[in-house]
Amino acid sequence: MCRKYKVNCDCAAHFCLSLVDKQGKLGIKRVKRGGENRQIKIFILLFGEDKIMHKKTLFLVLAVAMLALLLAGCGGGGENAQSADTGGKEKVFVFAQGSDPRGLDPAFVDDGESAKVMVNIYDNLVRYKPDSTEIEPALAESWESNEDKTQWTFHLRKGVKFHDGTPFNAEAVKFSIERQLPPNRTDAMPYASFVFEPVKAVEVVDEYTVKIILKEPYAPFLANMAMCMAAPIVSPTAVKKYGDDYISHPVGTGPFKFVKWERGQSIELVANKDYWDGPPKLDKLIFKFVKENSVRASELMTGSIDAMDGVDPNDVKTLEENGVIVTKNPGMNINYLAFFCNKEPFNNPKLRQAVSHAINRDAIVEHLYQGLATKANGPLPSFIPGYDKELKPYEYNPEKAKQLLAEAGYPNGLKVTLLTYTNPRPYNPVGQKLAEAIQNDLKKVGIDVEIRAYPWKEYKQVVSPVIVKEGDMMIYGWIGDNGDPDNFLTLLDSKEIAGSLNSAKYANEKVDKLLVEGRKEFDMAKRAEIYSELQQILVKDAPWVFISHATAMTAQNSSVENFNLHPTGVIYFHKVDKK
Amino acid sequence: MSELAKATAAGAVPESMETYSPVREFWRRLKKNKLAMTSLIFLAALTLIAVFAPYIAPYDPTNGVMADSLQKPSAQHLLGTDELGRDILSRIIFGARISLRVGLLAVAIALSIGTVLGSIAGYFGGRIDNLIMRFMDVMLSFPSLLLAIAFMSVLGRGVENAVIAISIVTMPEYARIVRGSVLSVKENEYVQAARAIGNRDGAIILKHILPNVIAPIIVRGTLGISTAILETAALGFLGLGVQPPDAEWGTMLGAGRSYMFNAPHLVMFPGIAITLTVMAFNLLGDGLRDALDPRLRQ
Repeated sequence: MCRKYKVNCDCAAHFCLSLVDKQGKLGIKRVKRGGENRQIKIFILLFGEDKIMHKKTLFLVLAVAMLALLLAGCGGGGENAQSADTGGKEKVFVFAQGSDPRGLDPAFVDDGESAKVMVNIYDNLVRYKPDSTEIEPALAESWESNEDKTQWTFHLRKGVKFHDGTPFNAEAVKFSIERQLPPNRTDAMPYASFVFEPVKAVEVVDEYTVKIILKEPYAPFLANMAMCMAAPIVSPTAVKKYGDDYISHPVGTGPFKFVKWERGQSIELVANKDYWDGPPKLDKLIFKFVKENSVRASELMTGSIDAMDGVDPNDVKTLEENGVIVTKNPGMNINYLAFFCNKEPFNNPKLRQAVSHAINRDAIVEHLYQGLATKANGPLPSFIPGYDKELKPYEYNPEKAKQLLAEAGYPNGLKVTLLTYTNPRPYNPVGQKLAEAIQNDLKKVGIDVEIRAYPWKEYKQVVSPVIVKEGDMMIYGWIGDNGDPDNFLTLLDSKEIAGSLNSAKYANEKVDKLLVEGRKEFDMAKRAEIYSELQQILVKDAPWVFISHATAMTAQNSSVENFNLHPTGVIYFHKVDKK
Repeated sequence: MSELAKATAAGAVPESMETYSPVREFWRRLKKNKLAMTSLIFLAALTLIAVFAPYIAPYDPTNGVMADSLQKPSAQHLLGTDELGRDILSRIIFGARISLRVGLLAVAIALSIGTVLGSIAGYFGGRIDNLIMRFMDVMLSFPSLLLAIAFMSVLGRGVENAVIAISIVTMPEYARIVRGSVLSVKENEYVQAARAIGNRDGAIILKHILPNVIAPIIVRGTLGISTAILETAALGFLGLGVQPPDAEWGTMLGAGRSYMFNAPHLVMFPGIAITLTVMAFNLLGDGLRDALDPRLRQ
């Protein structure tokens, strides 16, 4: 039987088959003898002994069961067969990441796992160049702004269609943005206020021209329009059709179309052969979710996946020894410890400086991250425009830390609570161990640290209130969205305390003022001056301990081509190919 | 023929039988069980190590030297160092303190409450029995680790709470065993006699029933320690039990699992420590059961 049907099914299905072949009579006898098949016993329970005696009913029930089992078996076995089939006609690419996306509607998500999938389904008006955060045309072929940079006119690409057949036009752009503007904006849209904060209105000029009117000049506006959150253009018909369910039925104009999402397992996309920028090289793209870094790594080595991100620094050597290509790029992220500046004891800058001096960041980068990170001198990664090269970071100096501790009024040390997440994060691949390393360092200067660790989702809730009761400082990080310095520095804007983006709850009028100035200035040289002053203040005031910038790593099999991790932490699969 | 045999043959009671002691008999029988004795010696040694940990451990278990992180076993660090440069041998030695303490404490608590509840249920029967035992059944119907995690999330993290959580979830087993034994013992003539001469219920349970059901309790308790150690390790592995920087075997295992590829000693040694200890308690428990079982007494 097994050979005949060529499927890796549950044996029960075959047993059912054999029963049906014999028209049911035998089946009843077997059941009466005490039955070796649980399936049949269940039928008796469900339908009652007298009913199952009826030949036709039995036949029907068994046939249905057989079909269901066959289908279930085929479903499970089929996927393996596909991913193993690399040399066939269909090019299937399996990419493994740490977890499920939160959702696939750009308006309602804020996590990197979602972004990685979404950038391959959606397009924006403008996009980043393949290896930098410079802007180039995408759905908008060209654009211009008025004199005071408050009105931006985009000329749209003609003949583009959404995956559901809806034509792409100015109305679609208006719809995509307006659903995230007040009064439509809700609290569930984490990026709407960030990306569309300066947007006052969207006007349709003609079918392929759209005008976006800003409240005030805003330098990062174009960069925002390229972001993978909030800014992607969604199909208006699909959003109306699915309503709240659109978050798991994404329809965009991108190089891949959404097929299905099995929660906790995988997301399947197929190539959009009509893509305006040329069809993708791959036929099918599967995002597989494998929680443990080491399990992903071993799947890559055995070849059951083609590429992965979230490479554990500890696995790099083993992976490379096994012929896997590990790509290391400077990461657009910051890994930091934030002091809660709005309450005792860390409302005292001296104490914050003391802790900054007490943490041995060199050792953390070299040993904990095994060299796969760079020490942070301030809030900005060094390749971001506006980074101040003159910044003097806090050197590791336990003696000075003790002295500052005494000056701050704690000559005998103190006891504090450090909050941390348990799981690896892109900017901190060792998860909770960073907190333990810091605990170890601070113990040496007399600061007794109690660690409270939470899983990621719970952690975000614990640290979001304005006054965090659970602790005194926290480990956190940030992955840049658009490559603009404002994107990092806004994390210390006092306006962002309520929205929990400013995790340190740091409020400094001077900082707020400089941030506003920076957003209005379009000349990068002048912006850099503003940001330089800003960074000096931040380093001196130390609302964070600027720990490190993690090296962004992806791993791929040698057969994969054009696979690049973009500085924004996503992979554009449009040009990716495999031999 | 020896003198003893002659005396027996003559129908007289031999000298040694008059001084028959159940404890000595039990000890004689346990000594014959080599596995149980080895386990007993191992556990005694482990207890000594745990008690004198600060004097035995070569390093401070919580003080890491980052520059020495992830070192393989060497003369300097016999079992190597972990990701923060802490000596693994020292951490395992200190971890023994926590594992043994949690194991013994959790079982002691669970055993005392379980015994009280079980003997009340068994002795009085009826509605009280129903009430207590149905409640125990409800608790038994949950997987114990799941229930322990639930308790931990209510109580908060930490060793003390782990002890409480583990003792609560293991208590029903003891209650059941005690109740079962009490049920069979309470119908004996001596119990009825004690009741007939007007002894109070409490006194009957304490003086006449409990001493006669002690054997299965001891066996279950010994086996229970190994379960408790395993559950502590599981909670630690999940990050719920002992909080860093303190060393505990399960926590070490959990922290080391991401280094499995290039530094397997991080998980291997705590794993061995857990395995050996749990196995020793199990073997000892088996040995005790054999030694205490009257049916096997020859």
